[in-house]
Amino acid sequence: MRKIFPAEELARDSRFVRQSNEDRMNDPRGARVGGSTGEKLSKLTPNLPNGPDRARALMHGIFVGEIQALEGAGRTCYDFETTTDVPFAMKLDMARQCWDEARHCEISVALAEHMGTEIGEFAENTLLYQAACNPDPVLRLTGVNRALEGLAIDVFNTMKEFGSIAGDPVLEFCEDWMLADEVTHVKMGSDWLRELTLNDKERLTKALEFQKVVDRLFSFNGFRGEDDENPIQLTRRFRELAGFSDEEIDDIAQMSREAAAETVH
Amino acid sequence: MAEVKRPREPFAPWDRRVLPGLFDVEETARRVGNYKWVETKLFETLGGWIATVPELDVKLRLGTHCYHHAWHAELFDKRLPELREMNPERLAIPPNENLVDFMEAMSEPEAPGLTIEKLVGAYRVLLPHKIAAYTYHRNGTSEVTDMPTIRMLDFVLQDEMNDWREGEMLLKSIIETDEEIERATAHQARLEKLMLAAGGIAGKGSIGNAYIDITEEK
Amino acid sequence: MTEIQIEPNSFEMVFFDAEKIANLASEVAQILELGDEQIKLRIDETSSMGRSKVESYEPIILAVDGGAFENTQRPRYLGETRTSETIARLLMRIIDRRSPGFANAPEDDLLDLPLRVAWDTYTAGRLNHLGLSTQKKRRQYQFRNRHGFSDAADEAFTFLWGSPNKLVWADIERISVGCRIALV
Repeated sequence: MRKIFPAEELARDSRFVRQSNEDRMNDPRGARVGGSTGEKLSKLTPNLPNGPDRARALMHGIFVGEIQALEGAGRTCYDFETTTDVPFAMKLDMARQCWDEARHCEISVALAEHMGTEIGEFAENTLLYQAACNPDPVLRLTGVNRALEGLAIDVFNTMKEFGSIAGDPVLEFCEDWMLADEVTHVKMGSDWLRELTLNDKERLTKALEFQKVVDRLFSFNGFRGEDDENPIQLTRRFRELAGFSDEEIDDIAQMSREAAAETVH
Repeated sequence: MAEVKRPREPFAPWDRRVLPGLFDVEETARRVGNYKWVETKLFETLGGWIATVPELDVKLRLGTHCYHHAWHAELFDKRLPELREMNPERLAIPPNENLVDFMEAMSEPEAPGLTIEKLVGAYRVLLPHKIAAYTYHRNGTSEVTDMPTIRMLDFVLQDEMNDWREGEMLLKSIIETDEEIERATAHQARLEKLMLAAGGIAGKGSIGNAYIDITEEK
Repeated sequence: MTEIQIEPNSFEMVFFDAEKIANLASEVAQILELGDEQIKLRIDETSSMGRSKVESYEPIILAVDGGAFENTQRPRYLGETRTSETIARLLMRIIDRRSPGFANAPEDDLLDLPLRVAWDTYTAGRLNHLGLSTQKKRRQYQFRNRHGFSDAADEAFTFLWGSPNKLVWADIERISVGCRIALV
């Protein structure tokens, strides 16, 4: 088996349909994320007329995102040599993440079914997995565990609130559990980033720059942010628990505003 | 002096554990080091395969089992310093080059159409060999002096048995044609030959020697 | 034969075929026995949202976002089942409003979300009988969001879904309001 497995070869059964990044970005109506497009963004709540349908589409996006997170964590277990590339303990954390992501796949596919969605009903885009393809383990860890899993914190908290407002006990319960796991994963990323770059400021800077690039991509033209019009709300409290500084969270919020402004103009 | 009804034996009548065991500290450390190497290679491989397998249930099981074997590797890693090996990486090695060949052959299948070969390598060849070696170690080591290893192996064996059963059931549900049976058995035979050359996951004597040595009289 | 007009008749942002949409609309109109009526369909191809509404009841004018006709697996391409289902739901609303039993139903703009969803459930259930709607679980999730995640709401949903052509507006209103009172 090769080291570094390309996103375009991720194995899926016949129900899944892939949409390339090119197709997604070239959609003249605005790139679509989890049932929303660039137009008329608003916070995802059940009170919106299309709220349940948007949540339903987003849950499918979460499901395929969890598959890709599982695949990414698995590849980090395999792609790097123990001790020479990465510490043994970091690999153990990545294996633990595999188990967590496998459970998240099970949870989100069951939730999708609960919301009336079939596997493969919506197109899959492999943007999330691509963050897990970086050949530098520190950059990969930063892209996956701080940017991607950070996005997961925001998404799960938004969905948990959606479930709470809608009075959907199943959604609220499950999202809260997944949120706990994601905070753990982001904390793993924060801890390992600090540990692996302890005596290498240059590598730390490079990793944080890479994280910014990924975070900007994951802002999806203002899809995620902390203003009222952002469908997915940036979650300060849980990000702090996971090792993000106030300054870092401010940066992500600002980045989202800039991305949204660029889309409008 | 504390008041007791009358003195008691240190070993209760039902406790039949005995002091002697098959392995001294050094041999135990060597075997535990081999186990850690095998568990590490296995969890890495299962993790790598997740992206390559299209069957959703298999993909998710591989993710779950990946962690199980990582946890086993962690347990063995923690046991090594207790066996006077302060640098666990020094003993976390394969017993011989033949086992390296086996691991390479086992982790070789990558294409999405090779799920049968992937599952056969892990669940029909490697896990049964691990279960055999761990059981031999568990039953042969001193039940008093090496109880920490026994406790560890009991936890590990419980996982191994469950994972083997799940893997075997996945295989049984995937194999549907004569041609697929032949693919599975051919791959199993190829890997078994490599494992035979390695002598098991801890090298020759992984599960002891069941034959009687007879010296011919002159 | 129903006459179908599609606006616009060619598309630039999506890969839709106006003739194909007209054929699907015509098939649906036939199944719903709408006779020789003229139907105008206005499609906003710039929107990938899934909104749809009856713009005019006499003559029939339907207005939909392009997203409502889209194949969710292949964005920008036509989803035939979705297209038929969306058109059928809007036409069924028109048929209902033309019947005396729905004379008291509020104007579309004045319908609150629970009532709209309850009516849509009744509509989708009947379309399902006609082979035009398949997403029962999706409809149930929408219904639960507006009427509660409870056994009472599920029973109400089952009743609305399985009641072919025998309910009037008062029934739908009573069922929807009943669920909401139970929630409080």
